[in-house]
Formats: sequence, C-alpha cells, structure tokens
Amino acid sequence: MAAPCPRLLVEDLGRVPYAEALALQEAALTARRRGERPDTLFLLEHPPVVTLGRGSRKGHLRDSPEALRARGVEIFEARRGGDVTYHGPGQLVGYPVLDLSARGERDLHAYLRSLEDLLITALAALGLPARTVPGYTGVFVGEGEARPGHFPRKLASIGVGVRGWVTWHGFALNVDVQLEAFEAIVPCGLEGVEMTSVERELGAGVPADLPARAREAVRASFLSRYG
Amino acid sequence: MSVEVELPALGESVLEGTVAVWLVKPGDRVEVDQPLVEVTTDKVDAELPSPVAGVVEALLAAEGDTVAVGTPLLRIAEGGEHVSAAPPSSEPAAAPSVAEPASDVEPRATPLARRAAADQGVELAEVEGTGARQRVLRGDVERQAARNSEPPRPVASSTPSRVPTFQYSLQPGDQLVPLTPLRRLVAEHMVFSKQTSPHVGTVAEVDMSGVARVRDAQKRAFERTEGFALSYLPFILHATVRALREHPRLNASMLEDAIVEKKALHVGIAVETEKGLVVPVVRDADRLSLAGLASAVEDLAARARTKKLSPDELKGGTFTISNPGRHGNLYGFAIINQPQVAILRMGEIVKRPVVRELDGEDAIVVRPIMHLALSYDHRVVDGSPANAFLYRIRELLEEAEFDL
Repeated sequence: MAAPCPRLLVEDLGRVPYAEALALQEAALTARRRGERPDTLFLLEHPPVVTLGRGSRKGHLRDSPEALRARGVEIFEARRGGDVTYHGPGQLVGYPVLDLSARGERDLHAYLRSLEDLLITALAALGLPARTVPGYTGVFVGEGEARPGHFPRKLASIGVGVRGWVTWHGFALNVDVQLEAFEAIVPCGLEGVEMTSVERELGAGVPADLPARAREAVRASFLSRYG
Repeated sequence: MSVEVELPALGESVLEGTVAVWLVKPGDRVEVDQPLVEVTTDKVDAELPSPVAGVVEALLAAEGDTVAVGTPLLRIAEGGEHVSAAPPSSEPAAAPSVAEPASDVEPRATPLARRAAADQGVELAEVEGTGARQRVLRGDVERQAARNSEPPRPVASSTPSRVPTFQYSLQPGDQLVPLTPLRRLVAEHMVFSKQTSPHVGTVAEVDMSGVARVRDAQKRAFERTEGFALSYLPFILHATVRALREHPRLNASMLEDAIVEKKALHVGIAVETEKGLVVPVVRDADRLSLAGLASAVEDLAARARTKKLSPDELKGGTFTISNPGRHGNLYGFAIINQPQVAILRMGEIVKRPVVRELDGEDAIVVRPIMHLALSYDHRVVDGSPANAFLYRIRELLEEAEFDL
C-alpha cells in the first residue's frame, strides 16, 4: 500500500547556490505539472548573490557588477518580475512549488497576498508583529504608510513566478542576515527603503537558535495553510 | 483549425497583463503545455502554456504591450500532421513524389503555391490552406495576396487621449496610491469626454411629495413581494425614460457628419463600488414597469458591488443617470458618458420650505425637494430642448403617476 501523499512536502536544503536552486525549482515545477510530485516548499539560503528581475533598472545597483564580484557577490539575471534583490547567509529563502489550479486557487494576486499572510503569521510566532504596506509587495515592520524618509522597514521580499498555474520563486525573509550587505543594492527599486531583519527587530529578545526557530515557524505556517 | 490563445483571468483583481517575453515565434511548432509567452502583472510573472499542439500562426501582441484579460495573444494552427508527414531524420528524404519539404516549420503547400507565395511576397504561415489536410493551394496564396494588398482598415483609436501628468517631488507625509487599471480607464474617459463635448448644465428643483407618497404606499408590499426596499432611483429612471421617448435628441450620439437619434433606450446607472465607478446598463428601460426597473437596478447594483457583472452589461448605454446616494449634496454636474450626449445627476432629497398656493393664498409649506442636474453636449442639443426635457422629467415626477 502506498504511503498517503502529503499535500505539501517541506524540503530543508541548507545552503544552495542560486543557479542550482533555480534548476531545482524548474525540475520540481515540471514534475509537479506532470503530477509526478506533490506540492513542495523548498527552504534554503543562498551564498551572497544579487539577482536582477526583469523590471530592474541599472541605477538600482549601487556598485558596479565588477566591484560586487570582487567582493565575492555573484550576479544573476533572473527570469522573474520585480527588481534587484540581494540574497545571502542569514536569509531564509522559500520557494513554494504549488499547483494553484489543482487547489482551485487560480488567483495570482491572492497567492501573493497569501505568502505575505503566512510570513506575518510566522513572524507573529517569533514574537514580531509585522504587516503589509498597501500598494507594495513584501512584509514590513514599523508604523505609518510609505512616504519618503519614513518608509516602514522591510523584513521580507516576495517575487513570484507561475508556469501554467504552478508557482515558483517565492520569498526571502531576513532572519539574521548581515544588513550591511544590502548596502550593495537599493532593494526593490524603492529609494529609501530600509531593510531590517528579525534579529534586529527583536533586539535583546533574540533567542540563540533564531534561524532554526524561524525555519520552524515558516514551515508551520505553510503547513497550516497548504499542508 | 486555428486556436486563439487569450490572456486568461489571472486573478480576481487582475484586469490586465503585460507581454514580457515571447517564448515562441510564428512558424514554431509547439506541444501541449509548452510555455508560449511570459506575462507580468505587478510582481507576478506568469508563463502561459499552450492549450494545443500545433504551429504558431501569428503573434497578436508585441512585447511590452499591456492587454486586458480575454485579449487574444496568439493564434496556433492546431494539429501536427505536417510533422508526422516529415520523414524521420535518420532516413534521407528520398521520396520526390512527396513535394513537401521535410520541415517542421513550414506549412504544407503545393509546389505551385510555394512559387506563387515567393513571387507575391506572401508568408505561407499566414495562408489558410483549403486543400486536403489543410494543404495550401495556389488559390489560397492568391486570395491571401489580394487581402494583403487591401488598404489597411482604419482602426478605432482605443486610447483617444492621454491623461495629463506632471512631475512632482514627494513631500513628507505624501502617500503614493498606485493607479489601478480601472482608475486609469476612468481618468482617460473623463478627459476624453470633456475634450469631446462642450458640457452645459441645467438644474431642476423637483417636489418629490408625490413620489414619496407612492413609494410609502408601496414600500411594504414591495419589500414583501420583491424582497428588497424600493428606492427613489426607479422613479427617476421611469420618468427619465418617458421624457427620453418624447425628446429623442437626448438619446443620441454624434457621428462624423450626422446625429443618430437612437431607438433603443438603454440607461446606464453610475454605481460606486469599492474598486471605483462602474456603469451597468438597464437594457430597454422603456419596456419595464416601475417594479421591473426596480428589480433591474437592484440586480445590477448588487452584482456591480460583488464584481459579477459581465462586460456586456456595461456596454451599449444610450443615456446615463448618476445617483451619488445619500451624500449627493444639493446638486452637481456629471461628465457625459461618451458617446452619449447627456447625463442626469440626482441630488439629495431634503425637506425644504417652499411657497405653494393654498386656497388662493401663498403659503410656505415643507416639501421633500430634490435637485436634478442635467449635463448635455451642446454640439448636439440646444438649450431649449435640453431644458424642455428636464422640465418634462420634473413634471412626470411631480404628477407621480406610476404603474407598479
């Protein structure tokens, strides 16, 4: 007798180079579309890399590609929407490969909102109240609406792709990432966005095993929604 | 057979998408599920897979185009016969009796058709074959060549005017609200209408006592039989439709060198929804009783709010009534919904002191008063008929003879 098929498989991959993770997603997406594997959430982190989405403007990169490479930061042109993104150690990256059609949830914006909600739920479990900002994608902390000089601080970036209603790409949550790394780029094309991390927002209350707890919280919130 | 692949509904709030990258080109052979095109919407990239196997005939949108949901993006000729007709690559194509080249890109065509296509500069891929198994014959090529040499038909400009914009440097406290597709459409239409029609306004003060009496008398029974409250709007609609029958110039459109006075009376009702302004249309409003109008309005308004209107229900209006509701203030002039020539806007209904003659004496009495403001296109309608039309609506409302 076959084991019951889980609705959502969560795979913890550790540190995976960006290009490798991309190939993995493509393979999973193809297999998912053929019905050869269940919906999957890949959790991982990347070595330092700057990815350029299709909406990228060169001016959003603060340093020249050469200067970045010299510092050991890879540069990757991703076939996805959105702008410039930095990924690096201390950032929890999640790539859900979900068949939205099979779930009867054929609504891309609803999916985007769902990712935001799940991250907010996970952050609440870590004791950090986070929120969305109307008109922007991502998860933020801090009071007030977006305005110059007073943009809420950004905790997580989201960029989603879908091929025939199967999703790929996903989110990047700053857990205990080195925030100086973001100095290399202007996140998401928003002049003046301040990036923050769970570690910094929690301040004195940071548990020693924060990365593991963050992974657990994200896993739990995704399983409660898609599992 | 050709299949058109449209931009699918990508989500409830997604009304349009931008063609980011074409992954195929005309002449390409595609399999079922093969990605055809990448479409972006906000932060989401969607790859549309092919619904059929076949050959791409034509791309109907360019990279960078923003198109509405339902817009055809490309045409695919279904079927893979010319591929199966191609000899396996390991074998030499040694069958001279089979005239088709063993290519998976080029459509099947007779040698004569190929020569004719080359001579006349016709792309074989755009020719619809009428021969056996859709093979392209010489006649097909010649028909296509004749079509190609026709002068292009004038295309109705879909974006008649751009919304004027200006540069602004953000100040502390400013909030940026992204433009939704609906907001953009509304903005463009408003500018277009004001540029097209010289708007003139006229206002009537209407004593709604008679209407209020009828409404109060019918309210209970109506709610019991129909299941919803009887509002004032159906009365205004009823009177307007009868006045339009008598003044066809207000139910018109201006063409290049003529004015068309329309027989059909389809009245749009401007409804505010969460997402913005929509104007569902009560079709053949002159054929409906007061109760029929009330039901139609209730149904359209409810579905407008829950976004369940079909595109057809928003089209074809010949006149518009704008009902700003409880907070309509004294009166205001609405912008004409093109290509119509007039729009009626309801004001609030408020009890006011008015002078009436009672037993031969002037007296101040309290009456429910509503101001009705008509905006009309002075290119098409002169002041006198416009005022006569509005006066007639007022008369009908004050006479308050309505058949439920």
